[in-house]
Amino acid sequence: MQKIPLTLAKPGMKLAKAVTRDNGMVVMGAGMELTETHIERLRGMEVDRITVEGNPVEGADGVDTSAAKRLERLDHLFRRMSGDPWMDQVRGYLNEYFRLKAAEQAARAAAEGK
Amino acid sequence: MVEQDLKTSVKGQILSIKDLPTLPKVLDEVSRLVQDPNANTDEIAKIISRDQVLSAKVLKMVNSPVYGFPGRIGTVQHALVLLGFNVVRGIIISTSVFEMMVKAMEGLWEHSLGCALAANVVAKHAGLADPEEFSVAGLLHDLGKVVGAVQLPELHEAVAAAVREQDLRWFEAERAVMGFGHDRVNAWLARHWNLPGNIREGMSHHHSPETAQLYPETAAVVHVADFIVRVYEFGTGGDDQAAPLSRKALEVLKLKLPDLDRVLDEFAVQLADVSDLDLA
Repeated sequence: MQKIPLTLAKPGMKLAKAVTRDNGMVVMGAGMELTETHIERLRGMEVDRITVEGNPVEGADGVDTSAAKRLERLDHLFRRMSGDPWMDQVRGYLNEYFRLKAAEQAARAAAEGK
Repeated sequence: MVEQDLKTSVKGQILSIKDLPTLPKVLDEVSRLVQDPNANTDEIAKIISRDQVLSAKVLKMVNSPVYGFPGRIGTVQHALVLLGFNVVRGIIISTSVFEMMVKAMEGLWEHSLGCALAANVVAKHAGLADPEEFSVAGLLHDLGKVVGAVQLPELHEAVAAAVREQDLRWFEAERAVMGFGHDRVNAWLARHWNLPGNIREGMSHHHSPETAQLYPETAAVVHVADFIVRVYEFGTGGDDQAAPLSRKALEVLKLKLPDLDRVLDEFAVQLADVSDLDLA
């Protein structure tokens, strides 16, 4: 899932979250596949950003919450913790959590790609 | 006793009123009304609503997923009823220092917002009442860094240099350079602004949750939240390292490591939504 500026939206992207107005009114529901018409309409409503499935835009601002990225960063983040048995256990837990999560996300992306 | 002298003089500098972020006047007025048993939420809401810029910012914050009522709060009155005065007050403080925070340290606003969200999620999963109160403590947990940057620019620069050159975490570097950390500054600020005890202890004990005296849960929640937001590297608290996770903090919250699965699941989903919340 990735939050992207509307200017980078392309037909075929799927909404991971509903688009809502400031007052909470839902404009388009989650799961909807965007068409050019939808994108125009969102532009007309001055929507700035939308949340789409997968990570279709490389280098978009915001945060890369993908489990694969988190897994890759663990060694760097914990670089000064090694040797502490409790923190090793914590890192081991996170490693396992993000590994399973990454596999799950990859499987879902593959299924949707078909 | 050189260190002691430094601490005393620094405390004076930090709290020197002339440069401290000024809190909106409505806050004083509102604080007075809250003490008055005859005052009601309507009157308090009316006073806050007179400042339209402030009310707009408050509504933007309370409607973010951080507080768990996304897009559902239409008026300041409703926010007061739903979240309580302490939360609204914490939000007013954070919106008042927002610009200063963004200028003082890049990434600190995002880090604070992420910590507020994580605190909300952790508190809910630990079964604690009023998760919004924990969010506010998370939102304000690094305020001492901002005030340090503004009031003590030379020391701030020396801390940043120690982080870069010695690969220290920000908190370690503060103690190496100044002899104390932003947790101490937080305690001074929280007293100076008369913040309630739970928010004060969340701010001043998030690095040492095991020594929190009155509100160990708040300190523990903010501690765990800070750990989580650092794992996700959402914004930055001044360095790019994981923080030590206190085993005791998890015990206080009656959580075990595997219980964090659901916390992390929920946090990751909601993070996308808060990532572009700015109050400019």
